[in-house]
Amino acid sequence: MLSKRQILLGNEAIARGIVESGCAVATAYPGTPSSEILPAVAAYADELGTKTAVEWGINEKVAFEVAVAASFAGQRACAVMKQVGMNVAADGIMSVAQFDMAGGFLLVVADDPGPHSSQTEQDTRFFSMFAKLPCFDPSSAEEAKRMVFDAFDLSERHRIIAVLRPSVRVDHCRQDVELGDVLDVPNRAEFKKDPKRWVCLPAHVRLSHPRLNAKIDAIAEEFESAFDSYNYEVPASSKPKLAVIAGGVSFSIVMDILKAMGRTDVAVLKIGTPFPLPVRKVEDFIARHDNVLMLEETYPVMEMQLPDRTKIKGRWNGFVPRAGELLPEIIEGLLCRALGEERPSRSDEALKAALQELKVTPKPPALCPGCPHRASYFAIHKALPAAIHPSDIGCYTLGINQKMVDSVICMGASVSQGSGFFLAHHVDGKEQPVVSAIGDSTFFHMGVPGLINAVYNRHAFVLAILDNRLTAMTGGQSHPGIGEKLRKGDEGVAVDIVSLIKGCGVRHVEVIPAYDVTAGAQAVRKAWQFARENRTPSVVVFRHPCMLLRPRQDRISVTVDREKCVGCRYCITNFNCPGLVFDDEAGKARIDERFCVSCGVCRFVCPHGAIVAVGGEEA
Amino acid sequence: MQYVIVGLGGQGILFSSKVLGQIALSRGERVLGSEVHGMAQRGGSVISHFKIGSYHSPLVRAGEADLLLAFEQGEGFRNLHFLRDGGMLVVNVHQKEALENERLRSYLDSRRIGVRAIEGYEILKKEMGGRFLFLNVLILGALSATVEGGVSYDEVKQAVAELSPERFRTENLKVLALGHEALQG
Ligand SMILES: Cc1ncc(C[n+]2csc(CCOP(=O)(O)OP(=O)(O)O)c2C)c(N)n1
Ligand code: SF4
Ligand code: SF4
Repeated sequence: MLSKRQILLGNEAIARGIVESGCAVATAYPGTPSSEILPAVAAYADELGTKTAVEWGINEKVAFEVAVAASFAGQRACAVMKQVGMNVAADGIMSVAQFDMAGGFLLVVADDPGPHSSQTEQDTRFFSMFAKLPCFDPSSAEEAKRMVFDAFDLSERHRIIAVLRPSVRVDHCRQDVELGDVLDVPNRAEFKKDPKRWVCLPAHVRLSHPRLNAKIDAIAEEFESAFDSYNYEVPASSKPKLAVIAGGVSFSIVMDILKAMGRTDVAVLKIGTPFPLPVRKVEDFIARHDNVLMLEETYPVMEMQLPDRTKIKGRWNGFVPRAGELLPEIIEGLLCRALGEERPSRSDEALKAALQELKVTPKPPALCPGCPHRASYFAIHKALPAAIHPSDIGCYTLGINQKMVDSVICMGASVSQGSGFFLAHHVDGKEQPVVSAIGDSTFFHMGVPGLINAVYNRHAFVLAILDNRLTAMTGGQSHPGIGEKLRKGDEGVAVDIVSLIKGCGVRHVEVIPAYDVTAGAQAVRKAWQFARENRTPSVVVFRHPCMLLRPRQDRISVTVDREKCVGCRYCITNFNCPGLVFDDEAGKARIDERFCVSCGVCRFVCPHGAIVAVGGEEA
Repeated sequence: MQYVIVGLGGQGILFSSKVLGQIALSRGERVLGSEVHGMAQRGGSVISHFKIGSYHSPLVRAGEADLLLAFEQGEGFRNLHFLRDGGMLVVNVHQKEALENERLRSYLDSRRIGVRAIEGYEILKKEMGGRFLFLNVLILGALSATVEGGVSYDEVKQAVAELSPERFRTENLKVLALGHEALQG
């Protein structure tokens, strides 16, 4: 095949690299900003006709373990996740870090400085350091793709897991990237039994940990000299006033700013392998300059690896903000401050005043018009207005706009929090209704152990499973409850959620169409009654497809009867559909036809019966 | 050429950077852009950056954008700081009185920012039976009618035809023409 260029999403470029590298098994659990990688692996594998097994795991721990065992057997394999997914998979990663791997193993973990779509702003380079695993930090989509090849190669040569950590601006950048052919790698499945190698007994670890240290030392040496296309200096063309050490997308931003400013007096050292840091290379650069600025996201990982930080202006000493994404405007300010120069002023006070007058504010995310979760939350609210609502991670976290989300920790924790809230009141002899909410994908991911635990320990609360038939928040991926797989012709089996719930020992389960708020409210009341009378968890499954699936459903055009609307805002507060807005001038609610999708659910929301179907109520 | 494209999640703004990318590629130019996926996509404010030419970073720095393409007027106004002096705003308006706001006018004048507004929802109500999902193509039509947009109608037309799913192609091209005509002359 002739080489050709195509515009790819960063995640597609990474996926293309994975397939071209001859990866035999690729797994993932979705999570922004990593989600587009695995479907693209499947698409390229189909297109290029490789045999690659491509699978969503039930969670990151399982996904990692599935893929890593394939690499024990000699295949090239990879697992993909977002940064918090690495917390879930950490137990396995920490063990296997010390193994003498067989086939190359690539761990792709996407970071989210900002954060834009995550519950933490943690830094995978730091995690790599903790696990003692080499880490590549791409500055662009094109570089991320190249790094995939080198990571597999490094992994195989040093028999160690290699980590690639693209951050959100690399994952979701669009860039023209060169496409290549699939490498012909010799890897085949041939597992060589060797308990010393594959069993993490303490006795074995006494040998494997020193061996891991030696590997990291050897890799550090390679990073000093053999990876010049990732670690290189862009010298200043005149006498440098400032030296910048930067990795990831911060490097790219610095380069653009310097060019736009026409600066020739700033030297830059780019580092694409932040752990283990090529310390001598960095120290040599620092020694040649007096004024050094270090830019990295989000923890001071490179900085911490330097024995002497005295000259450095960075995250460690707070010169660079210690949290948050390094946006171009922030880097521009840091460059000017480090240079001791005034930043070109750009006062937007006049704009601010205009925006205030026009009442323009940023719009926070909201559940889609027609979203079944909104209806489910409303039904729960109607049933038990005094309940506590532990919730979970997914689109339905946006139920916070309906005041139906009281606490969220991490995936699956709504179930265990239901237990905790029950116990807190139970020990005081109080009965407190608790309705936990969890999405279908999240229930499979990590909700099941919590539910078994609640049955075992006899915790009385209601678990609402919001079953919208996919993993919506991250873009609509399949999960075990759906059974679809990614490669063409590869069929899975759907796991029936109700049988699973019953199998956990739950004695009261009801499935309700989510749009039917009356039936939903009734089911929640019944479930709570069963739970408290029997001191056991009970479950209501609210089912309706997500709007991303464009379900075929009746279109019911609605309108607000201005005579009946008393302007109480009840619908705005408790239902909060973007299709329903409050007209401040008229003091009444109205339908915003730009966003309403005519699902008809809001007809059951207004306590005054003011929201009605256009042309009267149908039979 | 640096573009910033803003709107609300669900308005289909990703399609416009795809179209711009396709055009740049067919001209043999390098492209770099940044998109929003995930939580923010759910109805909230979204922003795409798009750069044609030789750049390293996918992000446009405030004060550097040549063109701001806004699917929603509030989002357009909120992001005016991205434009360079003398830049251009192409915006879909649903309450066009806002454009007469004096403070806004004087800000735009002081920075020599041009504005081209299209009443997208009105046009789609009249011509397409209120199918607002065509908004993204309509706005691309408006962009192609703006000299400062840097892309010609023919280029956009070809890219939209190539990138449209079969079942939407004819209607997309019709809407593109509507958007173009609305801002012609
Ligand atoms: C450990 C971890 N992995 C992945 C994610 C990314 N993520 C956020 S919500 C979500 C799942 C949402 O699916 P579901 O529970 O079905 O709810 P829906 O969005 O469909 O309403 C995922 C995978 C995360 N936040 N944490
Ligand atoms: S994507 Fe689906 S689940 Fe998420 S808010 Fe929209 S309709 Fe609801
Ligand atoms: S019918 Fe009501 S609930 Fe449904 S989308 Fe329209 S305004 Fe929202």
